[in-house]
Amino acid sequence: MVQVTPEKLFIRIKFRKTGRLQYISHLDLVRTMNKIVVRSGLPLWYTEGFNPKPKMVFAAPLSIGTESHFEFMDLRLTERVDTDLALERLNANMTDELVCTEAYYPESPFTALRWLKYEMELVTSGASEELAGKCNEALASEKMEILKKTKSGETVVDIKPLVHSATARFEDGKIKISAILSADPSSFLNPEYVVKLLRERCNVLSSSDLTSEHYSILRTEGYFFDMTLFR
Amino acid sequence: MLAPSVYLKGLEMLEKNMSSVLKSVSKPGRYVGGEYNSVKKNKDEVKCRFAFCFPDTYEIGMSNLGVRILYDVLNREKDIWCERVYAPWTDMREKMQEYSIPLTAQESGDAMKAFDMLAFSLQYEMCYTTALGMLRLAGLKLYASEREECDPVVIAGGPCVYNPEPFAEFFDLINVGEGEEVLVEICRLYIEMKENGSYTKSAFLRRASQIEGVYIPSLYEVEYNADGTIKEYKPKYPDTPKKIRKRIIEDMDKAPYPEKLVMPYIETVHDRIVLEVYRGCIRGCRFCQAGMVYRPIREKSPEVLCKQARCLFDNTGYDEISLISLSISDYSELPRLTDSLLEWTDEKRVSLSLPSLRIDSFSEELMQKVSSVRTGGITFAPEAGTQRLRDVINKNVTEEDLLRSVNIAYRGGKSNIKLYFMNGLPTETLEDIEGIAELAKRVVGQYFRMPKEERPKGVGVTVSVSCFVPKPHTPFQWEAQDSYEMLMNKQEHLKNAITDRRIRYTYHDAKVSVIEALLARGDRRLAPVLELLTNEGVTLEAWDENFDYDKWVSALDRAGVDMSFYTTRGFGLDEVLPWDIIDIGVTKAYLRRERDKAYEGKTTPSCAEQCSGCGANKLGGKNKWCR
Repeated sequence: MVQVTPEKLFIRIKFRKTGRLQYISHLDLVRTMNKIVVRSGLPLWYTEGFNPKPKMVFAAPLSIGTESHFEFMDLRLTERVDTDLALERLNANMTDELVCTEAYYPESPFTALRWLKYEMELVTSGASEELAGKCNEALASEKMEILKKTKSGETVVDIKPLVHSATARFEDGKIKISAILSADPSSFLNPEYVVKLLRERCNVLSSSDLTSEHYSILRTEGYFFDMTLFR
Repeated sequence: MLAPSVYLKGLEMLEKNMSSVLKSVSKPGRYVGGEYNSVKKNKDEVKCRFAFCFPDTYEIGMSNLGVRILYDVLNREKDIWCERVYAPWTDMREKMQEYSIPLTAQESGDAMKAFDMLAFSLQYEMCYTTALGMLRLAGLKLYASEREECDPVVIAGGPCVYNPEPFAEFFDLINVGEGEEVLVEICRLYIEMKENGSYTKSAFLRRASQIEGVYIPSLYEVEYNADGTIKEYKPKYPDTPKKIRKRIIEDMDKAPYPEKLVMPYIETVHDRIVLEVYRGCIRGCRFCQAGMVYRPIREKSPEVLCKQARCLFDNTGYDEISLISLSISDYSELPRLTDSLLEWTDEKRVSLSLPSLRIDSFSEELMQKVSSVRTGGITFAPEAGTQRLRDVINKNVTEEDLLRSVNIAYRGGKSNIKLYFMNGLPTETLEDIEGIAELAKRVVGQYFRMPKEERPKGVGVTVSVSCFVPKPHTPFQWEAQDSYEMLMNKQEHLKNAITDRRIRYTYHDAKVSVIEALLARGDRRLAPVLELLTNEGVTLEAWDENFDYDKWVSALDRAGVDMSFYTTRGFGLDEVLPWDIIDIGVTKAYLRRERDKAYEGKTTPSCAEQCSGCGANKLGGKNKWCR
């Protein structure tokens, strides 16, 4: 069955992936979303061929261990639906750790998403004003070289050009980091590398006891090239 | 030992201190719960907390139909809360041991010790050590007799309980047969006794022993003869049943079936809607335990099935429905069922799949209805290489059936044919082994007999051979298993007999089959062996990388158990068998008749053609074929 649509009609869904859902990989999120959109009963457009699937496009996939309040999925429909209705139908089929916060018809492509903001919290031994200062030094240094594992072994990479800004502070007994990092698909920076840099340079999270120290990363916002909020 | 307070930290612990642990293990999504459609209840309104413990990984356990059904049945009861527990993978288990993290349930995050009942679903022999390992992670003693009064009631169920003896002493209660009704009855009795103050574990178990389908191992003493065989099972009290008759659901149309499924976030092995079409099997293959223990045949009507399928689709969003039963093409209403499903499944982009096709009822029409397009392959199970041996095992299919089916498959665009066989079957000779290679060659030959323009691309035939394990409650229950050396020689012989490069030969190390036979035919004297292995951390042995035959040999040796007594020894026809304590409905006299016919090379027609008087009809039920 060939579906004829005058134009490719996508609805954009902004959602949160938090709590236990941070341990679900992007691939598994896609599978989960697939079933959610089918259950929602929205007028889905299906891919053609032997194995038809609803058409979904995601912006800047999250890695395991990162929570987010700023996720996007474009879902292709066969007809325009009311955005409030879409939101209601989708949320009726989701859990409180995977929630849609907004639905609208998009005007910008995902490729226009240039920067992403992360809030990190490090529960580490030795957390103090002094340690936060040390972290700030590391985050402000000329070169931010880290060892990156690639298919051909380990290489040294300078992540500095991919960091728009990054600052540390000591608060509630923790080291807290705010960082704006590259979201560009060709030079995407996983926030885990910022943690890795601090681990190597500032001796944070160095305990071998996994239950005594931990950290969390939350993606909070994203921006266009001109630093206005992406939507 | 862990302090008791450690066990009850629950979800809070998972969320706070576990994050570094979860980030350090493979597939952390296995351990976090929170799935859509999982059932949450208010602990204060619940009188019985029940946990299904599945002794394998999350991905395997989430796919189990029995657990899906019973989870739904128990949670329909307002005052019972049923949750799920899965075995952690080895990397997670190490972390749990290192940091004293208890094994917890997916729904509440509470530790296993917090439950009233822990029910283990034992699906295959190689999960026994995993189940015991889970008891250990729960901080519980292995033997029922060593556990405390306040510890949960530990239950076993599933197909393995048709010979419960090797693990009987580790469980307080064993559910024999279908669990939909009996588990609720057990919980009701528990709640009643707790409420009126009459509950003690032993009083509860005594009363539970009066429920049909309940076996309380501690109420029996086993005596042995000088030659090591069993003398008798002695019930401890006058009201203790001499045999435990399995329970069945009488009317499958009225049996509860889940309307929702817990939706896993991570990919599981059978991640789809599973529609159980009927229970039992009309065929009577003589090696097959399922074909005997699930009798009598009870079908569901197409109307009920269609309603259930649609409801499940609406509540899950799955794009595949698998119609399952022991032999789906024997369902008397199959055309009506598939036609009415196809009325809406095509439009919703849902495909149908049939996992078990018999070669004597495979048709072009059937193939077109099922999800033929998704895979290029199809599987058939002739089981044996020659007609003589197929008659011995009562498979009742011929070479013509196979070649006809293969032809249909080729014409339908399937170029990969998988053929299942067994080696080590009773009366088997090397000629029968060579027959497997010849049959596979003829299957390839069928391809080249087709006109070139009609052939699908690139023919490939896979011959997959498993080793015969003599199973309790089958006509072959008395048979000796071939020795390990014999099984390996036969595998080697077949390897040499297959010369065609288009035939791929796959087989398993026979060592696993030897241990399977040991556990399938074992008695209570194997308990110390399982205990030793559990102490040594043996677990998840259904996964090849975790199975270590040498550890078994060593444990058997230390426990003073002679493996050959259970594996390569033919059991005497008059011997008291370890599983004689269980009554599956099918009589021993029938099994004996079938065994004799096997040695005469005589076949027995299916239930649909003629009743062979197996005895299962005495269990009652709205069944299809019984007199």
